[in-house]
Amino acid sequence: MSLLDRKLLRDLRALKSQALAVALVMACGLAMMIMTRSLILSLDTTRDTYYRENRFGEVFARLKRAPNAVREQLVAIPGVAAVQTGIAIQVTLDVPGLPEPAVGLINSLPERGEPVLNRPYVRAGRLPLGRTTRGELAVGEAFAESHGLKPGDTLAAILNGTKQTFRLSGIVLSPEFVFEAPPGAALPDNKTYGVFWMPYKELATAFQLYGAFNNVSLTLAPGASEGEVIAAVNRVLAPYGARGAYGRSHHPSHRRVDDEIRVLQGLSVAFPLVFLSVAAFMTNSVMSRQIALQREQIAMLKACGFSNAQVGAHYFKFSLAIVFVGVGLGAVGGIVLGHRLVEMYHLFFRFPQLDFVLDSRVLVAAAGVSALAAFAGVAGAVRRAVRLPPAEAMRPEAPASFRPALIERLGGARWFTASFRMALRNIERRPVRSGLTCLALALATGILIVPNSFRDGVTYVIDFQWDIVQRQTVTLTLVEPGPARAIADFRHLPGVELAEPFRYVPIELRAGPVMRRLNLQGLPARGTLSRVIDAEPRQLTLPAHGIVISAKLADILHVRPGDEVIAKVLEGRERELSVPIVGLAEDFAGMAAYMELHALNRLLLEGDRISGAHLVVNAGLWPDFLAAVKNTPRAAGCVIKNSIRDGFRKTTAESIGLLQNMYLVFATIVAFGIIYNSARISLSERARELATLRVLGFSRGEVGAVLVGELVLLTLVALPLGLLIGSGFAKVILASVNTETVRLPLVLTASNYAFAVLVVALASALSALFAARKLADINLVSALKALD
Amino acid sequence: MTAAPASPLPPPPAPAAAREPIFHVRDLARVYGEGTAAVTALRGVDLDLFRGELIVLLGASGSGKSTLLNQLGGLDSPTHGTLFYRGWNLGTADEAGLTHFRRDAVGFVFQAYNLIPSLTARENVALITEICRDPMAPEDALELVGLTPRMDHFPAQLSGGEQQRVAIARAIAKRPEVLLCDEPTGALDVHTGITVLEAIERINRDLGTLAVIITHNAILADMADRVFTLSDGRIINARTNARRGSVRDLAW
Repeated sequence: MSLLDRKLLRDLRALKSQALAVALVMACGLAMMIMTRSLILSLDTTRDTYYRENRFGEVFARLKRAPNAVREQLVAIPGVAAVQTGIAIQVTLDVPGLPEPAVGLINSLPERGEPVLNRPYVRAGRLPLGRTTRGELAVGEAFAESHGLKPGDTLAAILNGTKQTFRLSGIVLSPEFVFEAPPGAALPDNKTYGVFWMPYKELATAFQLYGAFNNVSLTLAPGASEGEVIAAVNRVLAPYGARGAYGRSHHPSHRRVDDEIRVLQGLSVAFPLVFLSVAAFMTNSVMSRQIALQREQIAMLKACGFSNAQVGAHYFKFSLAIVFVGVGLGAVGGIVLGHRLVEMYHLFFRFPQLDFVLDSRVLVAAAGVSALAAFAGVAGAVRRAVRLPPAEAMRPEAPASFRPALIERLGGARWFTASFRMALRNIERRPVRSGLTCLALALATGILIVPNSFRDGVTYVIDFQWDIVQRQTVTLTLVEPGPARAIADFRHLPGVELAEPFRYVPIELRAGPVMRRLNLQGLPARGTLSRVIDAEPRQLTLPAHGIVISAKLADILHVRPGDEVIAKVLEGRERELSVPIVGLAEDFAGMAAYMELHALNRLLLEGDRISGAHLVVNAGLWPDFLAAVKNTPRAAGCVIKNSIRDGFRKTTAESIGLLQNMYLVFATIVAFGIIYNSARISLSERARELATLRVLGFSRGEVGAVLVGELVLLTLVALPLGLLIGSGFAKVILASVNTETVRLPLVLTASNYAFAVLVVALASALSALFAARKLADINLVSALKALD
Repeated sequence: MTAAPASPLPPPPAPAAAREPIFHVRDLARVYGEGTAAVTALRGVDLDLFRGELIVLLGASGSGKSTLLNQLGGLDSPTHGTLFYRGWNLGTADEAGLTHFRRDAVGFVFQAYNLIPSLTARENVALITEICRDPMAPEDALELVGLTPRMDHFPAQLSGGEQQRVAIARAIAKRPEVLLCDEPTGALDVHTGITVLEAIERINRDLGTLAVIITHNAILADMADRVFTLSDGRIINARTNARRGSVRDLAW
C-alpha cells in the first residue's frame, strides 16, 4: 500500500460518520434502483417463461355460443398458429365457512389431452382430466389459499340452476389469471371470487352448450399481424354473439402486470436520480471541506513533486470509498426490499414461482452511476485544489468577507440578535450550498407526502364508492337477464327491505377513431341505492334519453356533454345507434356508462328486462338471507358490499403500509444525513469562531445555538417548500397511475402535512444534537493560538 | 442571546476593599500528560494581582506564560496549588462556573483578534454585550478605542490594528475586572502596535481594569506597573517599575 493510500485510510477513519451519512443517502437511491430493476427483471422473465411453458394465448375472444365446427374456420385464418376453444362461465358458489355466496369463473378442460393453450400449472393434486371424470373441480390458488382449501375438500356450485357438490382434484394456476380478479376490478378479492377448471363435457352439458364453445384463445404464427388476425376473428365470430377479440395488451391479467412494470420503470429512474443528486451534493461539501483543511498538505505534496494527477486521484479515491460503501449498503437494501415486495406481489400476482432475481447488470450500473455522481460532486473541489500553486497553498486562506443579509439591507430587522445575523449572513454568503441543503431537506419532506396522499386518496375512494355511490348491502345478478317481475322474487327473500333493479348490457362506445368496450348499466332515474354521482359530488337524475358516462371515459373518447357517441349493443340483437351524452359521472375504478332503465330497454327492443337487483338487507335476518341466496338457482352472482370494501381496505393497507415505511426510512436518512453533514462541516469551518465564543463567555448551549441557527433557518424554509414539492410529486405520480382501470383522487390532508413536517423536523433536530455533541471536543485554548 | 443567568461570582468590591487582590495565586502547578510523558508547564507560581495594575508577563516560547494566562482566564484548571479570584476558588470551579467567570469578569484580547467575520465591528461588540450583566453600549466601547467612524465595517474591511482595537472594545464592553491580552501586538507592525497598546493603557487607567499582557517583547516591560519574567514554568524575576512609561515613550 502506498503511503498516500495509508493517509487516505486514516483520513477516512477520521471522517467516518460523515462518509457514512453520504453513503447512506447514496444507498437509498441505489437500493431503489437495484430493487426496481431487479423486480422488473424478475417479473419479466418469470412471466415470459410462464407464458411460454404454459402456452398463453395472444388473441382472445368471448362469445355467446358457437358450434365447435367454427373452430376450423379460426384455424384457417392466415397468421393463426394454434387455437383453443372452450367454455368459461360464471357461477355462484357455496364455500364451507363462508357465509356469503362466492362467484366462480369455471373454465372447461378439453375432452382429450391437455389444453393446447393456457395450460394450467398444477400446484397440488391433479387436473380433472378425462372424458369420464365427473364431480371434480380444480381450483385457482388464490381462492384456495384464502379459504384454506386442499385437494379432496368439497365445494358446492350452482350450475345452471342446479346445486351440485364437487370434490377438489387439485390446486392450479394459469397464465390467464396471473391477476386473479373479477373483470374490471381494481384489486383482487380472493374471498369471494375464484377461478376453476372442470372437464368440458360436464360443464357444457350443465349449460346446454355441449358441442359448442363461448371462449377462444389463439396464438399467432411468427410475423403475423395481430390487428389483421383480430379483424378476421371478429368476422368469423360475428354471427355468434362475439364481444370483440383483443390482444394481450388488453388482456386484464397481462395488463395489470404491465402496469406494475411501468410503475417500477418510473421509480427506477426518478428515485435514484433524486437521491444520487443529494449524495453528489453531500460528497461535494464533505470533500470541499476536506480539501480546504488539507490545503497545506496538498501544497506540501506538490512541493515534494507529486503530480496534479496523483493528488487528484488521491481525493477521487476518497469519494470512491464512499461509493463502495454506498453500493454495498444499497445492494443489501435493494435485495431486502425486493424480497419484501415480491412477498407483497403474492397478494396480487400468481406465478408458479416468483423469485427475486438480482439483476447483476444493475449492480454494475449502480456502481457506475454513483461513481459518476460522486465524481461530479468532487471534481470541482479537486480541480481547485490541484490548480493551486504550492506557494499560495502554503499560506492560510484569505479571511471570508461578508456583508449584511438581503433582509437587513432592505432596512428591516434592526431587532435581530447578533447570532441571528450570523446565521443569515452565513446562509447568504454560500447561496448554492444553502440552497441545495434546503432543497435536499425539502425533498425529504416531499417524499413523505406521497404514500400518505395515496392512503388518503384510497380512504376517499372507499368512502365515495361505498357510502355515496353504492348504498346497497348486496347486489344479486341473474344467470341471464330476466323479466322485470323477477324483482318481486328478490323482494321476497328474507330480510330484504329495499330492492332496485338494474340491467347490464355489454356495449361498444365509439367517438371518431376511439372505441371502448364496457357494460352499459340501466338504473332507475333517481335510485336510492346504486346512484350516479358527479364530481361535486351530487346525484344525477338519469333523463329519459341519452347516456351518462364516466368523466375518464369522456376524456378518452374526447367528448363532452352534448356530443353524440355511437353505441353498439354486443348482446342479443346487435344494434348500433347514436346517443347523446347528457352528463359525466365521477368514478375511480374502471369505466361506466349509465342510462335510465326503461330507456335502455327501449333501446334493446327486449321489453322490460333486468339483469339483477341492488338490495338493502336487514342485518338481523342476514344469515337467513344468505342461506336463501345460496339456494336460489337463478342468482348467478352475489356481491356483498362490505366484504369487497374490507378486502379492498386490507389489500391497499398492506401495500401502502410497505410504501409508507420505505419512504419514512428514506426521508429520515436524507434529513438526518444532510443536517449531520452540514453541522459537522460548519463545526469544522467555524471551529475557531466557536472556540472564541466559548472563551468570551458563551455557554456550550449558546454556542450550539449559534452552530445550528443557520440549519434551523434552512429547515424552516425547507419544510413548506417540501410540502409544495411533495404535493407536486403526489400529483404527478397519481396522474401517471391514472389509468382506465384505477384512478386515485389527489387528497392532501393537514395530518399528512403535519406528519411530514414532524418527521423531518425531528430527524433534523436529533441529527443536529448528535453533531453538536462534538462541541465538547472544541479546544478553548486553540482560540488563543495565532493563525499560522 | 438571552440575559445572563444568575452568576455565582462575588459582587463587585466596595472601595474599602480596594487593596484586596483580584487574583491570589499560591504554589500553582500545571502538568500535562502522565508518567514519563508528563510535561510540567507551570511549577510553584505565587502571585497577587490588584485592581488598576498593568502587568506584563515576559518569557520565551514554552516558558509557561500562556499557561499562566489560561489559568487566570478560566480556560484551564491547575493540577496543584490554589487560584482564587476575589476569594472564589477558580481552581475547583466547574464548567458552568468558569463560563460565568469568563462571561462576567474577564475580557480577552487574542493575538489573531478572533473577530467573527460575519459580524460588523459594532455587532462583534454587541454579541458580547447581549450576554453579560452590566455592559456599556457597543458604540461607547468602540469610541474608547477610537473606532467610531469604522463601526459598521466587517472585519475583512478593517486593517489589522483596527481589528485588534475592535477586539479590545469587545473585551472591555462588559466592564470586566480583568483584561487578559495574549501577544496583542504580535501580528502588528510597530506603529499599529502602539495604537493598540495605547488603547489598552487607556482602559487600564480610565476604568481601573487589571490588565495582564503577555509578550516576548521586553520593550513593553516599561509600560507596566509590575513585570514578571517566566522561564521553564517558574517566575524567575519580578520587578516593580517606580514609574510607568507611556507607550509613546517606549524605546521602539
